[in-house]
Amino acid sequence: MLSSGKISHSILSLSPPFFTNSSSRFLGQSRKISFLGIQNPFYSAATARKSWNSRMSISPAVNFSVRASAQQLKNADELIDSVETFIFDCDGVIWKGDSLIDGVPETLDMLRSRGKRLVFVTNNSTKSRKQYGKKFESLGLSVNEEEIFASSFAAAAYLKSINFPKDKKVYVIGEDGILKELELAGFQYLGGPEDGEKKIELKPGFLMEHDESVGAVVVGFDRYFNYYKIQYGTLCIRENPGCLFIATNRDAVTHLTDAQEWAGGGSMVGAIFGSTKQEPLVVGKPSTFMMDYLSNKFGILKSQICMVGDRLDTDILFGQNGGCKTLLVLSGVTSLSMLQSPNNSIQPDFYTNKISDFLSLKAATV
Amino acid sequence: MEASAASSSRPLSAQNVEALFDSVEAFLFDCDGVIWKGDKLIEGVPQTLEMLRSRGKKLVFVTNNSTKSRKSYAKKFQMLGVTVSEEEIFCSSFAAAMYLKSIDFPQEKKVYVIGEEGILEELELAGFTGLGGPVGAVVVGLDQYINYYKLQYAILCIRENPGCLFIATNRDAVGHMTDLQEWPGAGCMVAAVCGSTQKEPVVVGKPSTFLMDFLLKRFQIDTSKMCMVGDRLDTDILFGQNAGCKTLLVLSGVTTLSGLHDPSNNIHPDYYTNQVSDLLELLGS
Repeated sequence: MLSSGKISHSILSLSPPFFTNSSSRFLGQSRKISFLGIQNPFYSAATARKSWNSRMSISPAVNFSVRASAQQLKNADELIDSVETFIFDCDGVIWKGDSLIDGVPETLDMLRSRGKRLVFVTNNSTKSRKQYGKKFESLGLSVNEEEIFASSFAAAAYLKSINFPKDKKVYVIGEDGILKELELAGFQYLGGPEDGEKKIELKPGFLMEHDESVGAVVVGFDRYFNYYKIQYGTLCIRENPGCLFIATNRDAVTHLTDAQEWAGGGSMVGAIFGSTKQEPLVVGKPSTFMMDYLSNKFGILKSQICMVGDRLDTDILFGQNGGCKTLLVLSGVTSLSMLQSPNNSIQPDFYTNKISDFLSLKAATV
Repeated sequence: MEASAASSSRPLSAQNVEALFDSVEAFLFDCDGVIWKGDKLIEGVPQTLEMLRSRGKKLVFVTNNSTKSRKSYAKKFQMLGVTVSEEEIFCSSFAAAMYLKSIDFPQEKKVYVIGEEGILEELELAGFTGLGGPVGAVVVGLDQYINYYKLQYAILCIRENPGCLFIATNRDAVGHMTDLQEWPGAGCMVAAVCGSTQKEPVVVGKPSTFLMDFLLKRFQIDTSKMCMVGDRLDTDILFGQNAGCKTLLVLSGVTTLSGLHDPSNNIHPDYYTNQVSDLLELLGS
């Protein structure tokens, strides 16, 4: 059995995330993808490397050559029997935009009837757990709020886990989901969508003030992104001693609509990185923060979990980093040719077309 | 030119300034944090520049700030009471247009710009058209009006138009857009686009030496006879070093003495001093 020895991001393989000191503010590997892939002959490579990796000790060339290629799922029963919990990504696995993918309700019912625990982990921070619960309900799926873990929730849970002081504030570059989760967790916040209306005038003598009691800046997907927010977040991170820079996720693209892909949280986080030159603490996939949180909360062993997702660099990496089994579904953003491309080095244990294959493959083996 | 030890930068002094001065035919100045801060001149600058000109030195201004064109920069200098010709100014907005020219970018293709007027003006001067479609290149610079629409538009072009170029005027993290504090720089907008396309841009401004070629055509001086004066290690000083110039860091902008001496810094200028007018003071007597 191949080990998950690929974890060169050794900090995260050690233990559940905890806040050590400000120089190793690294909760999980944020991106396996090399940003230095296309070298600009004019730009000093040394400087590029320095700015991207200045705070993290990630080796850009993580060696995946040990892992065998993904196998097409043939014996669903064997996989189902070998785990106790299934973690599902949502976009591209359960639904696409606002339409359910074929066969999902029956598949989830079957898994539940076989005593499996179901958990839903999404990097989409625009909604709170409660709001996601409503979305599931509207699609005819019975999923409990407690089974949903969005990156908006992860940000609040992270702050709770480090005993972030209640007298400090959180500046949010992101949408409503983050604000709601922070409120539920009892934290004070500033920012959010309404700062999207704020304008600045760069003229002599103008000084933008910022709240010195901001102790953390949380950055996620934000359709109301603008220069005011960039400056506010940058000022807090740079000038408030010990101020944390937390990212809900760094996804390059997101499915805002089912017709096309849209610039994702990776954009907003990238911008703040660009002005502060600091790497964020990433709480969403592929960081294992949510995995550790789950396994602690439900008292399950990670080897007893199967992660099911449609994205190699977030879902599958998340599962691998956590030491779980991994199943890639081709019902979302990843195609078979992308999985099998020589440029791809992330190999899940299994792949299949969609999750309802659990039902059809099962029938075939009877 | 390799920086060997942490203490290899010498403070500019009455003892070494003559040697530097005599060995250099042209002084290259960064603008933000060296000549001005926002719209305020740093004290002593006009007199220093006059003195350098009167002693036969060529002056060149190399700035990563893409919000203005060369023409507009010349106007800004004029408004501040300093005489500088358009031909002496090399800004990254100009660099972007020149880069497209240098690769024979077809004039029937359009350029999508995340940036301000400077880029649009320089593109127009060079015969290129901004906006619309089909877009063959995206140019990203400082943009205080950045928003999600622009990000998404740029990203769609880069991802979906075959062969679409991704060009960055520069990647400065922050700059002194006003005199009282630093503001996010083009590095922000560029990183936002990188964060979604996962592609690295071609950078045309400092520290890339692309602009140096234009400089050399204009002034036939060996780069070893040039001194780059700037306030930023990872753009100005690196640019100078990459091109083989002498380098002088001024502490009137974004870099502090402790920043220079910090163990994590491995960019060492030949000299450092407080501000440009120190040249006047040290040489003047």
